[in-house]
This record gives sequence, C-alpha cells and structure tokens, in this order.
Amino acid sequence: MASGRQLFCRIITPERMVYDGEAEMVKVRIADGDIGVMADHQPIVSTVGIRDVQVVKEGDEREVFAVSDGFFKVSENLVQILVEEATSANDIDADAAENDVEEADRELSELSGGDDEEEAGRRREELQRRRSIGENMARVARRYGE
Amino acid sequence: MASIRDLKRQITSVRNQSRVFSALQTVSAVKFRKAEARVKKARPYADNVEEMMREVAAKSTSKTAMMVGRGEVRRVAIASLTSDRGLCGGFNSQVLRRTMRLREEKGRDALQVASGRKSVSFFRFRGVEIADEFTGHTDTPSYEDAREIGRKLTQLFEDEEADEVYLVFNRFESALTQRPVVKKLLPIADEGSDDWEDENNDRDRDDENRSDVPFEFVNSAEEILGKLVPRYVETMVWQALLEGSTGEHGARMAAMQSATDNANEIADTLTLQMNKARQAQITQELLEIVGGAEALASN
Repeated sequence: MASGRQLFCRIITPERMVYDGEAEMVKVRIADGDIGVMADHQPIVSTVGIRDVQVVKEGDEREVFAVSDGFFKVSENLVQILVEEATSANDIDADAAENDVEEADRELSELSGGDDEEEAGRRREELQRRRSIGENMARVARRYGE
Repeated sequence: MASIRDLKRQITSVRNQSRVFSALQTVSAVKFRKAEARVKKARPYADNVEEMMREVAAKSTSKTAMMVGRGEVRRVAIASLTSDRGLCGGFNSQVLRRTMRLREEKGRDALQVASGRKSVSFFRFRGVEIADEFTGHTDTPSYEDAREIGRKLTQLFEDEEADEVYLVFNRFESALTQRPVVKKLLPIADEGSDDWEDENNDRDRDDENRSDVPFEFVNSAEEILGKLVPRYVETMVWQALLEGSTGEHGARMAAMQSATDNANEIADTLTLQMNKARQAQITQELLEIVGGAEALASN
C-alpha cells in the first residue's frame, strides 16, 4: 500500500448490493486459484467460482460471503464481484442449505435420460449447480458463521 | 325516465364499483412502490454486467457468432414481455402492437417467445405460433424467471434457430408513462443495436481520459465472454421484467384511478337524476292534493 490508498469492495447480485464498503483485502477464488487483492492492485478480470469471498477489514475483522459463480473485476482500487447469489456467512441457514443439497441429489437420481437427451443434460447441469451452491453455503456457514 | 328505485339500485352498484376500483388502486400503489425499489436495487448489477461486457468485448479478438452475428439473417426470435393480468390500460396492447410491427419488419416466420398470460392469449388469438411461453411471474418476477427466459433465448441463437434475438418490453419512465421499446439482445455488437453503439462511443471518449492500464485476463477474454454473454442476456431480460412489473403496477394504478373518478362521476350524475325524479314525484303529489282540494272546495 505504497500510496496509502483505500480499497473498496462491492459484491453485487441481481437483486441488490450485498456488500459495498471499504476493505483492507479481498480474498476470492478466481479462475486460476485463490487471490488476495489489496490496494493498488493491477486491473484484472476473471470468473469467480462457487466459493467464499472474504472481505478483510481494518483490525483483521472479516466478513465472509458464500457466492455462486460469476465475475470478478479489479480496477482503480475497486473490487467488483458480480454473482447471482451472495449471502453473508452469518445469514445462511446451514440446515436449509443441506436440505437443498439432498433435494438436488434426490432429483438427480430420479432424472431419467429418457426422451430428450439434451433437455435432461441441461436439467442435470442445473441440478449439479444447485447442489454445489447448497454445499458451498453449508460449508461456509459451518466454518465462518456465528 | 327511470324509476327512483332503479336509479337507487344503479347508484349503489356504481358506488360499489368505485370502491373496488379504489381498493385496486391502493393495492397497485403499494406494489408499484415495491417494484420501483426493486428496479433501483437491481440497477447496479445490470450496469456493471453491461460495462464488463463492453470492456471484455473490446479486448477480445475472436469474432464469435454471438458477438458479430452470422452475416446472413434467416430468421429472428422475438420475446415479448407483457403482464399476466389485465386492467392496466394500454400497457399490454402497446407492447403487442410493437411486436406485431417488428414481426412485419423482420419476417412473419419470426420465432415468438411470450412472457405473461396476456401475450400468450394474444398470439394464440392471432394465430401466431408460440415457440415458448412463460407465465405466472410478471407480478413479482424473480431472477430465476429471467434466467429461464434468457437461457431459452440464448439457446435459440446457439442452436441456429434464430440469427437475431429481440426483446420487446415496456420501459418504465414514470407511473403514468411506459414506453414500448425493442432491444436487440443477440448478436451483441451490431450496427442495429443503436444504444449499444452510443454507449460504446461514450466509453471510448472516457477511456482517453483514463489511465490506460490494460486489464489482465486471468482466463482468456474469450473464455470470460463465453460465460458473460448468456449472463448478459439474462440480465437484460431481468431488467426488462423488473421494469415491466413496475410499469404494470403503475399503469394499473393510473387506470384504476381514472376508473374510480369515472365511477364517482357517474354516481353523481345518477344521484342528480334521482333527486330530480324524486322532486318531480313530490311536485306531482302536491299538485294532485291541491287539485283534489280545489275540486272539493268548488263543490
């Protein structure tokens, strides 16, 4: 932080802005692994995986969010994370998330590859995505939640 | 002239109607405010997705069909977004009229995607074949709904069923005005989509003033684009759905307002008529009494 400039972070979903504020460091899993962004980071664009985003604030206080897949951009000391879903670890209902996983599993096992192969493939992909999101939310809640 | 009893009955029924309209108006007003707040909250996401799209597209060297089109346009797909319910003035008909005009321009074999019960029944009635329909969500749309529609549209393009994809919806301007607009979703960079070009030019000017630090792409621009384009389509549909639902509630609010006013006016006219009729009856009775008394006196 040579210039002493402040880093800002925004986590944005289609419904609302989930986080908008200052940060010392933002930890995200992007396409090629985990990255920790601090102030004056070079501009970068990447995809984000279904994982957690950690916003480290002053005094090592941190906020953790479970996010679904999306996009990530750093430019001019602003970290932007565009994802479909983002929930603070403290707000996640871990049991509900685990129920989601079970339900997705059940639907996956019931999925017949019968009449429409292509449609079934799409459905399977969608269910697998739902499953990973649920799994991730449960994991984040258990690990970081209050 | 109608009898006093008939008039009384009419007045009661009109007053009741007025009460119903007024209640509907109140409900729509509440829904409208909620929907408006949702549109505002959703804007940052849509703006950022669009901005990212521009930035990445500018850096991408590949010319995929999604970006530049297929050269020849054999068939287009049109998605029209209307409401599920009526009683909202010209809200739906203006979108549907615009759709029909677009169909004339782009060829009648255009694939039609319908969102909202009103558009489904309209196209059925007109004998327009519906490629896919989505209903039951227009009151308070969720992102999931937008994703389903967006995915369908992207799929139509990817499967080469359509070479261009258009969205027709009501742009929300105020509670009283909604403007039907046509937005080209795919392919993305094309002379046809004027608002895109305009923003692109603005962008270029901005960039000159900006420090020219190139973005580092962790995965290639192409790979990001591959994921970003479908997301962009979904986001545009999402924004349109939200604006549509806000406009729907706004239009219904306005329609119900004028219906209430109208009903009250009719009730007033009828009351006046009833009073006149009652007065006439009283006068008539008085005359009969006076006439009778005079007849007796003269005897």
